Amino acid sequence: MVRYAMVTDLRKCVACEACTVACNAEWGVPPGQARTKVQRTPIQGQFPNLMATAYIAQCNHCDRPSCVEVCPVEATFKDANGIVQIKAEVCIACGACVEACPYEARFINSGTEKADKCSFCAPRLEQGEQPACVLTCPAHAKFFGDLEDPKSEVYRKVRLEKARRVETSQITIGPNVYYLGRKEHIELIASLFPPRQK
Amino acid sequence: MKAYGTPNSAEPAFAQCRGPREVGYALTFGRGLGSPEPVDLEEAKLVVLIGSHLGENVFTSQITAFSEGLSKGAKLVVVDPRFSTAAGKADWWLPIRPGTDIALLLAWIHVLIGEGLYDKEYLQKYAQGFDQLSAHVKKFTPEWAAAITDLSALQIRETARAMGKAKPAVVVHPGRHVTWYGDDTQRARAMAILTALLGSWGRKGGIFLPTPIPRGGFETPDFPESIKGRADGAGTRYPLASKELGVTNGLVDATISAKPYPIKAWIVYGQNVLQSIPQPKRTLQAIEALDLMVVVDVMPVDQIKYADLVLPEATYLERYDRPTIVDTAKEPFVSVRFPACEPLYESKPGWWIAKQLAVRLGLEAYFPWATPEEHLAGIIEPMEIDAAELRKRGAMKLPGKPYLEDRRPGDDPHFETESGKIELYSDKLKKLGFDPLPKYTPVKPPPKGFLRLIYGRAPVHSFARSQNNEMLHALMPENEVWMQTKVAQNLGLKDGQRVVLENTDGDKSLPIRLKVTEGIRADCAYVVHGFGQRSAMLSRAAGKGASDTDLMSHVQIDPVMGGTGMRVNFVRLLPHLSPI
Repeated sequence: MVRYAMVTDLRKCVACEACTVACNAEWGVPPGQARTKVQRTPIQGQFPNLMATAYIAQCNHCDRPSCVEVCPVEATFKDANGIVQIKAEVCIACGACVEACPYEARFINSGTEKADKCSFCAPRLEQGEQPACVLTCPAHAKFFGDLEDPKSEVYRKVRLEKARRVETSQITIGPNVYYLGRKEHIELIASLFPPRQK
Repeated sequence: MKAYGTPNSAEPAFAQCRGPREVGYALTFGRGLGSPEPVDLEEAKLVVLIGSHLGENVFTSQITAFSEGLSKGAKLVVVDPRFSTAAGKADWWLPIRPGTDIALLLAWIHVLIGEGLYDKEYLQKYAQGFDQLSAHVKKFTPEWAAAITDLSALQIRETARAMGKAKPAVVVHPGRHVTWYGDDTQRARAMAILTALLGSWGRKGGIFLPTPIPRGGFETPDFPESIKGRADGAGTRYPLASKELGVTNGLVDATISAKPYPIKAWIVYGQNVLQSIPQPKRTLQAIEALDLMVVVDVMPVDQIKYADLVLPEATYLERYDRPTIVDTAKEPFVSVRFPACEPLYESKPGWWIAKQLAVRLGLEAYFPWATPEEHLAGIIEPMEIDAAELRKRGAMKLPGKPYLEDRRPGDDPHFETESGKIELYSDKLKKLGFDPLPKYTPVKPPPKGFLRLIYGRAPVHSFARSQNNEMLHALMPENEVWMQTKVAQNLGLKDGQRVVLENTDGDKSLPIRLKVTEGIRADCAYVVHGFGQRSAMLSRAAGKGASDTDLMSHVQIDPVMGGTGMRVNFVRLLPHLSPI
């Protein structure tokens, strides 16, 4: 069974936002909104002993997606290949999923007025193409593939190089976006995701 | 322009950008670096960035190689007064006092020589002047440099040792925009000397060698000889300035002073004189003195307001461009650009504008090709590549010989200096009356109450060109001014509030948002370049953010090559009072 996952190598990412531009262009996301966003952690420490990192925020296509759970009309669901999808024609834009996502990956698209988020470029995958962000990244910092396929880059990076999920003791819904990089950077990113108020 | 008979062409790529570096490295190694810089970032074991913020400065091929090198475990030293994206990745971040880089470089050289960490065999084989260099740096200890640079002697020693250990696979990145303090050629010389000591020039993981690709051409008449000579000072006032790239500020000076002779007209193409050349008031004064100014531009930027005639150029998606031929890649390549659609409205491609001007002036013999396809075929003719294949793929690589060990005796000499060797000590500079070995000269500190204005790039925008693009504007509509937390607290300024920057001559910026951060030295203010444009025709960008160029009322000219040192301006931040 295919199980799609993405790996971002934070050592390579230079936070150039080419992924955001490629994604917005590919999916017609209105400028100012984004399915894939480059975020920066606040700078830690005092001059000159500082630490900070950028990271790429997007839908994590979680194993136990809280967005699916809360959708009142079953517009959002998890595909057999692991991709969390939205049926736009069913979505009533109530915003429950936007609230439920602890990674703040969802938004109401101001053009379509429906819930929106990264789809791992599912329509491109059907054409045998890589996701737009992976293809565009000048730093070659993003990797995409099947976590169950030992020949895939993501398998190697997750299973052998120990890319990590951004999880906390309270957010344990099994994200499928992994990060490679310094341990302290990944922990810093995780610290930015407190559990959301119910 | 050459066919018309004027020697006066200049581009900011030299005197506002890479010029000092090209001259400094040519003095040392016999050739400049070219573009892109032949830096072997993917194979480096250690990368040293001095004032370069690669990452925020997105030079695509270098980003790919830099990221690859870092993920393979390359160590990184970042010398920058600001905590840049690269500094966030660094093993050593050295937040240096601005303008003191030469002191740091001399101390690094001192440690490498003093502790025997340099590449002795390489220097023996390829270099001259080691004894003079060794004597010269004897007194430049890390303790001496620590007091000047505001870094610790320990850090300076540690980083020098790391370089010694990683040699020759060390990239001391030569940088791109390096016209900072007017001693820039000498700083480039110090970086070149450091590179030589590490044995990195021509070595894997260091600075690789270009592989020249043969270019075809067309028979054209000789250019008419200029009777009056150049007006910009290249080769005269500025002895080592490039006559190919010219000195833009030299042309501004000549236009204002009418010396050595009056200049009556400017044709501005491919540059934005009010954003790229400092002292914009002087630029405007020069424009006032002209009888004619023609601007060829893609966007209605500020300078077109001053033009007598605007020739709107088609965008890159609508035109053929001259093929890009890159020798300074490990595998040299040629890339081509074809129009994706016809030019809109009255815009025309640059090649068409140039050729049509020539035809109307009776100079068509200098453009002996009818179409850009014919021109391209002529250029690539000796490359033995298939034009249809090139068109299909957009770019084609050729085999390269990037390292010294790839070279056979027939490829010599490697070093086109006067001595045929790497010149650690420069007789050429001495003969011209300049320091044959780099020296640190103190820079003027900020006056009380002012901060040094430093500036750089954001990855989203290209210079001042892209601020009006809808998608990019949405990602970064304006720039911010960075100020250290304590400094802001002392002034009672708050993160996010709007301020106005005022320089020591009373020039003020448009209002700009304040970013209060730990990530900058207390003596600096930082902005991203390219904002604060005023042209109302820039529907999105007009009036957004502050222009660093507008605040550059001072420059420190590099006497060797005429470059404008631009980091010699100071600003204070005033609260912007009117409500938004």
